[in-house]
Amino acid sequence: MTTQVSQPSTGKTQAHIADLTMMTVKPRSLWMDAWSRLIKNKASVVGMIIIVIFTFLALFASVIAPHNPLQINDGKGFLPPTWIEVGPNGKASDPAYFFGTDTLGRDVLSRTLYGARVSMTVGFLPTFIIIVIGTIVGLFSGYRGGRMDNILMRLTDVFYAFPDLLFFIIVMVTLRQTYIGQLLNGLFLLFSALALVGWVGFARIVRGQTLSLKEKEFIEAARCMGATDSRIMFRHILPNSLGPVIILTAMTIPGMIITEAILGYLGLGLIPSTNPKDFFITSWGASMLEGQTAINAQPWLLLAPAIAVSLVVLAFTFLGDGLRDALDPRLQGTQ
Amino acid sequence: MGKFLLRRMLWLIPVILVVSTITFVLMHAAPGGPWDRDLSARQVDPATQKMLNTYYGLDKPLWRQFTAYLIGDIDSEGKFDCGLICGDLGPSYRQRGLTIQQILFMPPEEKSIIYSRFGYSMRLGVYALLFAIIIGIPAGVISALKQNTMVDYLSLFIVTIGISVPNFVMAIFLIIIFASTLHMVSIVPRSWDEVSVWILPAVILGFNTMARTARLTRGSMLETMRQDYIRTARSKGLSERVVIVRHMIKNSLIPVVTILGPALAALVTGSFIIETMFGFPGMGRAYVTAIGQRDYSMIMGTTLIYAVLVALANVSVDVVYVFLDPRIRLD
Amino acid sequence: MRSKLFVFVSFLILASFVLAACQPAAVTPEKVVETVVIEKEGQTVVVTATPAAEAAETPTLRVNLGSWPDIIDPQKSSFVNEIAHLKMMYEGLTTLDAELNTVPGAAESWEYNDDATELTFTLREGLKYSDGSLLNAKRFEYSIFRNVDPATAGEYAAITDDIAGAKEWRYAEEPTEEQLAELKAGLKVQALDMAGNACVDYEQADCRILKIGLSQPAPYFHTVMSLWVTFPAKEENIAEGGDIWWTSSKFHVGNGPFVVKSLEPYVRGYFEPNANYWGGVATYNLEFRYITDSAVSFEAYKNNEFDIVPLAAEDLATVQNDATLNAEANIYPGSCTFAVMFHQLKEPFTNQKVREAFAMALDRETWVTDVLKGLGAPTLTWIPKGFPGYDAEENRWGFDPAAAQAALAESGYTVNNGQLLDPTGAVVEMVDTFSDTPRNRVRHEWLVAKWKEVLGVDISLNPVEATTYTALTKDVNTAPQLFILGWCADYPDPQNWLSVYWKTGAFGERIGYSNPDLDAKLVEADSTVDPVARMPLYAEAQKMLTDGAPVAFMWNNVNSYLVKPWVKGIVQTPQDAGWPGDVAPLSITIDTSMLP
Repeated sequence: MTTQVSQPSTGKTQAHIADLTMMTVKPRSLWMDAWSRLIKNKASVVGMIIIVIFTFLALFASVIAPHNPLQINDGKGFLPPTWIEVGPNGKASDPAYFFGTDTLGRDVLSRTLYGARVSMTVGFLPTFIIIVIGTIVGLFSGYRGGRMDNILMRLTDVFYAFPDLLFFIIVMVTLRQTYIGQLLNGLFLLFSALALVGWVGFARIVRGQTLSLKEKEFIEAARCMGATDSRIMFRHILPNSLGPVIILTAMTIPGMIITEAILGYLGLGLIPSTNPKDFFITSWGASMLEGQTAINAQPWLLLAPAIAVSLVVLAFTFLGDGLRDALDPRLQGTQ
Repeated sequence: MGKFLLRRMLWLIPVILVVSTITFVLMHAAPGGPWDRDLSARQVDPATQKMLNTYYGLDKPLWRQFTAYLIGDIDSEGKFDCGLICGDLGPSYRQRGLTIQQILFMPPEEKSIIYSRFGYSMRLGVYALLFAIIIGIPAGVISALKQNTMVDYLSLFIVTIGISVPNFVMAIFLIIIFASTLHMVSIVPRSWDEVSVWILPAVILGFNTMARTARLTRGSMLETMRQDYIRTARSKGLSERVVIVRHMIKNSLIPVVTILGPALAALVTGSFIIETMFGFPGMGRAYVTAIGQRDYSMIMGTTLIYAVLVALANVSVDVVYVFLDPRIRLD
Repeated sequence: MRSKLFVFVSFLILASFVLAACQPAAVTPEKVVETVVIEKEGQTVVVTATPAAEAAETPTLRVNLGSWPDIIDPQKSSFVNEIAHLKMMYEGLTTLDAELNTVPGAAESWEYNDDATELTFTLREGLKYSDGSLLNAKRFEYSIFRNVDPATAGEYAAITDDIAGAKEWRYAEEPTEEQLAELKAGLKVQALDMAGNACVDYEQADCRILKIGLSQPAPYFHTVMSLWVTFPAKEENIAEGGDIWWTSSKFHVGNGPFVVKSLEPYVRGYFEPNANYWGGVATYNLEFRYITDSAVSFEAYKNNEFDIVPLAAEDLATVQNDATLNAEANIYPGSCTFAVMFHQLKEPFTNQKVREAFAMALDRETWVTDVLKGLGAPTLTWIPKGFPGYDAEENRWGFDPAAAQAALAESGYTVNNGQLLDPTGAVVEMVDTFSDTPRNRVRHEWLVAKWKEVLGVDISLNPVEATTYTALTKDVNTAPQLFILGWCADYPDPQNWLSVYWKTGAFGERIGYSNPDLDAKLVEADSTVDPVARMPLYAEAQKMLTDGAPVAFMWNNVNSYLVKPWVKGIVQTPQDAGWPGDVAPLSITIDTSMLP
């Protein structure tokens, strides 16, 4: 159960104070150690591979996709996937379309590949912004306490007080026809709206962690040794509060992908593209929506996007677990 | 404690003020108005529209509409019409004749408030949250105690489904399984007085929260399990049960409680999709359709109710923190 | 110990599902089979029969209406689902039959004066409300006054503007008390007794004449009087219930075939037959439910929880592939025409040849089969099939790629690398605007792809939120260059299709359409009293409209429902509001022997 970080430091003949500092602050080796532990964890390596594959698929969708995702095939709407001979709507499958076709006879597989672009971006970008803002606010608020905490927490109260969905809808309805609303097929506005309300949850969770961590002995110790506040916050408290943050991240990413779908349900999703050369064409959320309405005609329409989202979630869960273990030295070697 | 609660309650006032200002500005900036109707039908003619605007005060300058909503205004007969400060949430522009408080809080004749739209949503939200807690926390605890066993993987599988499958997809699948195929429940409830008809909507509504709770509990437990004080507790010879319940679980719940607070508010205000699919008479639909309909008072009303609920939930979270970790002080 | 905890949790999970199983499905009516032993002449005869109590029970027709109505007030409602409720509870002076002819309702007869500026109704004798109280002409007089009264601010108030004095009253700018009294007196609607004297009150039994003065010849006005806006809700109930009278079933005392028993918002509306209805008494109770999600509604139908549900386009192929379901599908023409609107004042559609080219580039047949999944009927004209004034011959601007390309070449506009250039060589930006729903996305993706295929023009898509779309398209200045719009008949008369929509200053103006020749023709047709002479004038007007190719007529909607086999006698008309057969609910019966 002894940690690898503390082991080497004890054996060295350095000044007592420097020795104590070494116990917790040894940045390079901490992150290096974390990395080496991470790649020893099979599950997280699988997770990373999945994420890399999806990123690759998204970037090179135009090369990999068997069909043009916008190609409408007259009379071939709602074909079942190839392993089903005849679908419930009486249509026979076509080997050219592995996952079948959508309502206009467009290839579901190709559309799913292209959908990875929008959905991976919608999943990652706002989540990244959210984590950065949320963590910083939560750390400061929880650590400083007092007036700072009050002001920041009341600010989060205001943001929290908006029902997320309602806020997205109002913002999208209001600003969609403006320049901002049209930027990047409407994705820019979507990111901003998602990020604007999302950081609050992270801020509160980090604050909760900080509140309990800052009373802990090792923080007291660091403070006694004269460590600066920012050092304590970012070197001591932050790594120790990353557990829930990582888990929440793994859940926020699919949340974003699904929110995009729900906004599509309400008529506020991505602006569809008409040019196959465009980067953003369709999203997984949009495909799932179509699949839900066509559940009786082509139930497999749900399959491709649902598998894709689940894989991404699993990948992040695995990676998240691995990361948390890797970053928390105390967990090393247990079970 | 009393002083803390009082101060937090007072804080509600500025929060409401800010929230209502932002909502008011945003919704009036949105193109269109309450009289813009579905296009396949005849549109409201100009004379009627003018009449309606005058009647509802929509022809007044925006700042005055805002103060009229918050504080009140003097009507055409010189009488003072009290606004939000008296608890009046304003008239609905779509369900004409009804006020927002009537739509949301007035139960059908001879029934109690739990039969109002708010009451229905409240009940469903509480059931969903109970489901999330009763299943989610034990599932998280068990999969942490049995890390990397079949139990853990099974829970991971269910959690992944809960997080990655949107509820509109899950709803139709569960309906097909439990109602169409197994005939356990009816799809369209004859009456919401039966217990069984609440199960599907509550489970679907609470599934995502359940999954998050399970995941967060597991992570938090794993962390707590390796703390020194757990080792100390064990070495003191405490029984395993006491160690798990008193030390591990209690200490692992802080991050869980943090997400449960706002989750309660979100669950209680209902879900547009669940309500649409099950024909559920809650307020979740009201708040989404109101934006499409530009039913301004309804937008304001539902936003403010949500705001108050979130604020209350967060206060309770802070109180629970103290209970879970005595080192946290409310000051 | 750990395993105990695990068992406990597993139990909880299981319990939640078992709980569901404990409750028997209350929906499927149980068929109780009772064995009766009768002793007769020493012999024992065993008779198996369903109990008599059940046989006598009135069956309930369970209809999924879609969405809960926002308001159920005859003079304020305007949506299909609202009207569906009102049509059950109330009846107008006239009503429609299966062929959409205007037939007597509460009135037994009506007549116009020679120049069709005065319309006189005679009510049936002994008309009663559902509570047994008298219904006389004074009630209808009140309803019409209430509809016109600007204080009511009914959303469909404009539909009775042909009544002399109605427009003056509605458009009066802040009238004083005296002016208001004058305006009210100016509305030419009067209830008279059989001797021709003004009626006194609602208790007067011989008050059966209603005289309506019209501001201009309007030989179609008796059809307008079949609409819900004049349904005779009781004045005293409206006064007693105040602004929210319509939310309470007890104030809805009506003269229609049904009486509302309960209105539970978002859950159900329940109706029982009106024993005092002049046309007879229905043999079933009626239940409306409000499930908007089509996939759920379809599941519930298959599960025998509904007798009538709307059939969504996505499910049509599945239904047609299943012999049982296919026999239960009711698909028949609707009352709307949809067209691609070209803004006549915005480039490039200022040019008729461009409009022709865009219209001829679209294959309406493929549109209906592929995009609408068969739920629609292709059309090249304005008035839909089944409505008086339908033109079966019209075939201009139909699908013809070669002609479309030729028309574009003739127009002076050219296409360069996907961009449309006007005759001076400037680029014309092409945008197709639509209200953003998953369904509309598919439709417009198809349209744009087809225009690209035939004409080579790149058109970008501009989805906007639904109400924003309404707000945009209402005004000629903000109306988009290219969009889809439809019109659904208020009442079956060509006047409602042509004059109400395409006259200068009417709805067609939002795309900048104004044609003085057409205006003149419509004025002539509207004021022609003789029905035989009138119809050809409308036919000519409709041809004049198509001449200029102002829009590309695309499709007529169809009504599509699934109806259980035990529901018999449904009368289908294009004007059905919300469910099939609501024009003639009395002809519907439920064959209880077929109930599962």
